[in-house]
Amino acid sequence: MSLQQIIGLAIIIFFLARVLSQKRKNQLNAAEFNFWLAFWLIAGAAVALLKQIDRSLAQLGFSASGINFLLYLSVAVLFYFIFRLRLQLAKMEGEITKIVKKIALGDKPADKK
Amino acid sequence: MDKVFIIIPAYNESAAITSVIKDIRAASKEWQTVVVDDGSSDRTAELAETAGAVVLRHLVNRGQGAALKTGTEYAIIKGAEVVVHFDADGQFSAVDIPAVIAPLTAGEAQVVFGSRFLSAPGGKKSNIPWFKKHVILGLARLINKIFLGVSLSDPQTGCRAFSKEAAVKLNWQQDKMAHCSEIMRLAVKNNLRVREVPITVVYHSFGQHFSGGVKILEEFFLGIFTK
Repeated sequence: MSLQQIIGLAIIIFFLARVLSQKRKNQLNAAEFNFWLAFWLIAGAAVALLKQIDRSLAQLGFSASGINFLLYLSVAVLFYFIFRLRLQLAKMEGEITKIVKKIALGDKPADKK
Repeated sequence: MDKVFIIIPAYNESAAITSVIKDIRAASKEWQTVVVDDGSSDRTAELAETAGAVVLRHLVNRGQGAALKTGTEYAIIKGAEVVVHFDADGQFSAVDIPAVIAPLTAGEAQVVFGSRFLSAPGGKKSNIPWFKKHVILGLARLINKIFLGVSLSDPQTGCRAFSKEAAVKLNWQQDKMAHCSEIMRLAVKNNLRVREVPITVVYHSFGQHFSGGVKILEEFFLGIFTK
């Protein structure tokens, strides 16, 4: 294992410890805890298995190294999360409009000519 | 004359709203003018009421599409036979309204779009800025045709009229500016009889820029996933 991998794993262990500590203090609900636990465990596995990822990519004919692949993957995942967030916002905006419309129509002023 | 409701979405339009309503009332006293004040921070609602319009108020700004939806639903509740969408900024002319609703009352169409690109014999031409006319609206027309299956001369008109049945069927969800394209797409999708008529638009400002077009595309794209 290279020095970079050891540093990377140390950082991940720090964040895993933080997740566990937050869970103990009830600062994370079950869904959040499961998400962050899975996220950091997968990140740890990816760092620990960097050489195997290198080999797998080479076998598939890609010239990029494993660390580059992880970087591309993380950018794609980030884009996905931003998109999900944007969708969530759009849905909330739609809900706000429904409430605003209902209130506006609730007044129902009398016809004028 | 059928029961005609003119729906005007207005956001901070105190400079123009009084003259817009007066022009409409001068064109016909029979029409019901409904201003949907979309969370304005100026005197739009007060001036509209004084000028004789029914005013519906959005507590917070929700966008032109949402304001038109509120006004249209109000018109349907009140038994409208014809619903007209009209802008509050004074760029449209109230004298065009009879021509816009004529195909509906004659039973020739269920949805009528006013077009800046058509001109009536002897009528005035709209002074559309060159870049807007040839680049922005040209691109919008192409996008409408390719992605929405809509082939209309004016891809982003804000002046339109519906029969009661069409107003009920056209259930648009876009709150902001993408409602224009969505209404056109829904009219085609619902197999409604569509007609375009010439209108004159007087530009006091450039209006929607290229970035606005990009925003509309983004709204439309997100709208696909939020249904």
